[in-house]
Amino acid sequence: MAVEDVIVEPWYMMQMVQAFLQAPVYHIVIEVLLIVWIIGLLFSKSYRIQERVQLTEKEKEDLLAEWQPEPLVPDTPEDHPALHPRVVSGKAGLKVVVDGKECLNLATLNFLGMLGNKRIEKAANSALYKYGVGSCGPRGFYGTVDVHLDLEDKLAKFTRTEEAILYAYGFATIASAIPAYSKRGDIVFCDEGACFAIQKGLLASRSKVVYFKHNDMEDLERLLKEQAKDDKKNPKKAAVTRRFVLVEGIYMNYGDIVPLPKLVELKYKYKVRIFIEESLSFGVLGDNGRGVTEHFGVPIEDIDLISANMEMSLASIGGFCCGDSFVIDHQRLSGQGYCFSASLPPMLSVAASEALLIMEEKPGIFEELRTRCKWLHAKLSSIPGLKVCGEPISPIMHLQLAAQSSRTEDTTKLETICNECMNQGVALTVARYLEGEEHLLPPPSIRIAVNVELTEDDINDATSVITNVAKMVL
Amino acid sequence: MGDGGTTYSGVNPNAVWLNSRGIWLSYVIAVTILHLILLSIPFLNVAQAWTLTNVVHNIGNYIFLHMLKGTPWETNWDQGKSRLLTHWEQIDFGEQFTTTRKFLFLAPVILFILASFYTKYDPLHFVFNLSTMLLVLIPKLPQLHGVRIFGINKY
Repeated sequence: MAVEDVIVEPWYMMQMVQAFLQAPVYHIVIEVLLIVWIIGLLFSKSYRIQERVQLTEKEKEDLLAEWQPEPLVPDTPEDHPALHPRVVSGKAGLKVVVDGKECLNLATLNFLGMLGNKRIEKAANSALYKYGVGSCGPRGFYGTVDVHLDLEDKLAKFTRTEEAILYAYGFATIASAIPAYSKRGDIVFCDEGACFAIQKGLLASRSKVVYFKHNDMEDLERLLKEQAKDDKKNPKKAAVTRRFVLVEGIYMNYGDIVPLPKLVELKYKYKVRIFIEESLSFGVLGDNGRGVTEHFGVPIEDIDLISANMEMSLASIGGFCCGDSFVIDHQRLSGQGYCFSASLPPMLSVAASEALLIMEEKPGIFEELRTRCKWLHAKLSSIPGLKVCGEPISPIMHLQLAAQSSRTEDTTKLETICNECMNQGVALTVARYLEGEEHLLPPPSIRIAVNVELTEDDINDATSVITNVAKMVL
Repeated sequence: MGDGGTTYSGVNPNAVWLNSRGIWLSYVIAVTILHLILLSIPFLNVAQAWTLTNVVHNIGNYIFLHMLKGTPWETNWDQGKSRLLTHWEQIDFGEQFTTTRKFLFLAPVILFILASFYTKYDPLHFVFNLSTMLLVLIPKLPQLHGVRIFGINKY
């Protein structure tokens, strides 16, 4: 090839202008159209794509005219329970002083009697003198104290998982954990009777929530089968959808235990991830108090995330999640309650660590707690007019009226029973719910919490008090 | 990070980074560098280099703005709202005809006009240039916001 062919021939402006003048017509037409379009574009105003219905002026005026303002503070009846709280003085241990009267405490959730434990108090006191009271910062901004890392380590070792993450508020634990993993377009199969914290977490996650009947694995299987059918119809969507099943170890509203082996079977059959909220079962079920997985003998690796509240058995504040490192580490940046709230006060972390140590040293207390639960359950079942809801080994029992009528009537009767029992030395509480906000409002009940320090005499006395009061009221 | 003085935490950076200071100049410089690289390849003549610049620019534009969905990072603030949206649909949170969008509309058109001029209006080059320009301009129309033809690229 000649040199001239390799070198690109120079393009002279004259040639270019000539070519322009000889351009084909269709090309000129298209270019002119484009230029006109550009000019139109440059002058168009920006706007949002309207997603809502546009109202005419008249419709707007009508809506404004018919609007009635609601009072800022709605009328509440004089006898609303929130207006007359019972005041507790001193520690709410086995005996609690309510409104000046000392009662046997069957109301607060102090299952292992850690509240008032001298050893924990001593450890917390020395932590108080070393670290002060609050941590004054979220975990990312100098709020991480060595006792937090220590407690996370201890919790991971205790539950035999890879890692644990601490939250400063028990309610926020599960309410932050769910939206960290489940987003818009994902599906969560949740039990109908899940507690309020779980419901708020599901709301925050913006995912599709499918409720299955309380503790009904057949219903869950039916829903999973339907979902599998839908997935087959739309495999591309199914490939990007995450599926979760959310249950509680022991349900706060009912006292039942989740049938975990069947759930794990469903997990592997339908490829869903299991999240368990073990607030009430941690430190209660299992030979060593490790929770519902130990109780059923299910290996903990089968469960994807365990979330628990330290405010029940551990008598501290806050909560934790534990599981694989890969799963838990994600919450360190995505858990809203972890990143954007101040961390757990060091004093309370030390208290929780100490409580964990006690649990490790004395694994016999769990069996003792379960024995007491069984005694109390058996005794309470024999009260005429009231029926007991919940498993015999569950530390939470709900006493419902045997003959149920309207909700307000039942609640009033139960409140009367509680007040009378308190006058006679047994502190009880009616289970309270935010009635307008709950997904499935359980029937009105008295919630009874068992304490490992209860003696048989205490149980007998309490039962006779309740029987007498029930006979009187009903 | 990627701020035109308008980002704050809790906002999708994909929506605002193209409003940053110096983006237009950077865009023009990038296209120029691409063109210079193509011009320096010895066996391409000027017309081919221009058409190739136009085509490569348009294909890159299509892939990054209309094919890839979601964001390259965790979206903690919107619970996955932008998971199914392309970059173009995320710009300025879905507001149409903002300055950035107008600029990105104009870039292929100006390249097309320049390419037609420098290829001396040759019909074969015209076919390539026009088709890629349409490929890139049509998805940018507001009528096609969120539209997935034949369900391609939907999930």
